[in-house]
Amino acid sequence: MPEVIAVVAFLEASVRLGIPLALAAMGETITERSGVINIGLEGSLIAGALGGALGALAIGGAGGGILVGALGGALVAMIFAGFAVGLGTDQIITGTAVTLGGLGFTGAIYQARFGTTGTALTLPTLPSVPIPLLSDIPIIGSALFNQPPTTYFTYVLAPVLWYFVYRTEWGLELRAVGEEPDAAAAAGVRVKQTRFWATVFGGTLAGIAGAHLALAHAGTFTENMSAGRGFIAIAVVVLGRWNPLLVLLAALFFGSASALQFQAQTFGLAVPYQLFLAFPYLLTLLALAGWVGKSRAPASLALPWPKDS
Amino acid sequence: MTEVLARLDGITRHFGHVKALDSANLEIHSGEIHGILGENGAGKTTLLSILGGIIHPDVGFLEVGGSRVRLQSARAAWKMGIGLVHQHFTLVPGLSVLENLALGRRHTGHRWTLHLKEIRKEASQLGKLTGLTVPFEASIEELGVGDRQRIEILKALLRNPQLLVLDEPTAALAPAEIDQLFRLLRTLAEEGRAVVLVAHKLDEILSIADRVTVLRQGRTVMTAVRADVDTAILTDAMVGSSSSEGEAPITPARNALPALGQSSDGLAQNRESGNRSVARLKGIDVYSPQGGLALQDVGLEVMSGEVIGVAGVEGNGQRELALVLSGRQQVASGKLEIPEHVGFIPQDRNREGLAADFDLTENVALALHRDPQFRSGPLLRWKLIGLHAAEIRSRFKVKSSGVRALARELSGGNQQRLVVGRELSRLPELLIAENPTRGLDFTATAFVRGELKKLAHDTAAGVVLISTDLDEILEVADRVFVILRGKLTPVPSTHDSREAIGAMMLGSRLEVH
Repeated sequence: MPEVIAVVAFLEASVRLGIPLALAAMGETITERSGVINIGLEGSLIAGALGGALGALAIGGAGGGILVGALGGALVAMIFAGFAVGLGTDQIITGTAVTLGGLGFTGAIYQARFGTTGTALTLPTLPSVPIPLLSDIPIIGSALFNQPPTTYFTYVLAPVLWYFVYRTEWGLELRAVGEEPDAAAAAGVRVKQTRFWATVFGGTLAGIAGAHLALAHAGTFTENMSAGRGFIAIAVVVLGRWNPLLVLLAALFFGSASALQFQAQTFGLAVPYQLFLAFPYLLTLLALAGWVGKSRAPASLALPWPKDS
Repeated sequence: MTEVLARLDGITRHFGHVKALDSANLEIHSGEIHGILGENGAGKTTLLSILGGIIHPDVGFLEVGGSRVRLQSARAAWKMGIGLVHQHFTLVPGLSVLENLALGRRHTGHRWTLHLKEIRKEASQLGKLTGLTVPFEASIEELGVGDRQRIEILKALLRNPQLLVLDEPTAALAPAEIDQLFRLLRTLAEEGRAVVLVAHKLDEILSIADRVTVLRQGRTVMTAVRADVDTAILTDAMVGSSSSEGEAPITPARNALPALGQSSDGLAQNRESGNRSVARLKGIDVYSPQGGLALQDVGLEVMSGEVIGVAGVEGNGQRELALVLSGRQQVASGKLEIPEHVGFIPQDRNREGLAADFDLTENVALALHRDPQFRSGPLLRWKLIGLHAAEIRSRFKVKSSGVRALARELSGGNQQRLVVGRELSRLPELLIAENPTRGLDFTATAFVRGELKKLAHDTAAGVVLISTDLDEILEVADRVFVILRGKLTPVPSTHDSREAIGAMMLGSRLEVH
């Protein structure tokens, strides 16, 4: 049954490609809910990937790699937040600088540490852990439930973040800060702290996503291996309408569009595969224009606070 | 004997070089409604913010219930039983009413849940007691100013304050809504709480306050029992006896402003002295962004030499009407005739009137740059524009360091003088003014109102004054219309009493509450 095998492979690839996007995008969702758009997410991702590689080698295991990767992502986000939140610099310009700096700096560290020999680095990888019973479900079972632990972490995180955003006082403060920081401040919320830590949280998840790329997929680190996923994650947040659950689905959708592209190439379809890659962006544009559901960004997104600083 | 609930003693507070408060004092008794009066920049809002824990004094201290306290934050003030209702709404538009109430009532339990059910129960009980009924599930964006004001007050009352501090709560309310608010404040005072109230309108303070404190240039110049004062005494205290040195007298004696080198008398003569139609609207429909009709079958003819007043509660289509009249709004149907140049005094001078980071000259140029008089080919004649700006500055008494001063450095009143001066100096055939005196003190208010009348009566322009302030309409307008849910209705001259128009402004809403 080659069709079934193809479908299983397609689903498996969708999840594999979607999970790092989902992690980064869910983090960015929290960041953006606080009114900060972190274009420097790509920098956190690549720092996470390098941190993952260094951590896995130094501590000697994929788990240690994830931890160091998370720290790397958080550190880059702290630099961004220090400027964009602390000093109120323009978020787009600061984020772009952090992304470019992150890509360059990780490359430099990698070359300093491992030289330019050209032989690929071999890293310990995150093993896939099949979940009993669930992984035996036909077709979708192995795609969804025979995955590395970071994937399961992502599944669990989405509803947890949803609850956090919509059902806790912390979440209410977060949303208030992103909508109307003056009003939040008047209600006694510490606007800058909220934005700072929301940004660092986003960077931490992006760091984990980067480490996942290095340790669960590639088993190696290469320069620029984040390959624009930080930017794609920002589009995913839009398509997921700043709602952690929808963001997870949107990330898997972006993942499946990339997977479809591989399938199309495998089967030699006459359609240019780039079309499949373009499709999710088209949908994101439609979402932004309000044609796919009601999409509304946090009202104070990308606006520095206080306004007259 | 009355008990002193709170006392501010010798409060001084600077903002940069500006002394907002200068050894100000205030004593608040339980069970009283305490009115605070003062011109713009007298320090009213700063004083209230200090009570609310948002601003900290440089010098001086605060006593609550007989003991000295330092209010480090808004939260500290709530804990002391002080609830502040800000002048600008502090509601979060993207959240529901209930979530906004929750935002004001955090830290009551653990923070990993939202206590929406409890808050809803509490708020609806309190709502029944006070008459403050609000739609809990609605999003703030869907609600009008009156509802928002009620939510703000409910939010403050949920914290059960002993002292309720309200900064300009009546600015956007219809007369009946103001009455309702004042009844509520009276009830609160009768329960033994204290209410501190700032309002621009003297008569409002006189109608409700038990005691009055007047601030002038950051100092407390008078605290008196209501029965001992009247309008004249309070006005004197607010403006000060040496008013000539401060802002301009109420009606500055001068010629109506001509454009450069052109006398207004000449122009008025050029324009026919008889009644001539300057703008005509017939059957105008305009869709709102939400899809409904913002304006519905609106007809209006503006004649030269008259001021038309459009009264109404905010959010009934005023914005769209102003945009239609100034030619900036696409209409769904109807016939529209307006002159090419329409003067426009917007309600939000910071957003539509002025560019904050431009200086006076540049802001004047914004409106004049198409005028061939100020151009030579593609270039602007900056020198000439600068002279014109200087003329506006002196004629309209815009207090600033010069024509190179940035708009953001001016006080609200002076910004509005600049906008009014700029628009009037173009001698428009038609001028639209949208809440032109909102947030201005009464010297500036009287000035702007006088200029509107003068423009209509001296230069034979048509003026449309759209205002939520009924007193303003009654003072300035020759003919009055009421706008309600997008429909414009003329007020018969036989029925233009304050009460009759007030009732028309609310329409059937009177029965709703």
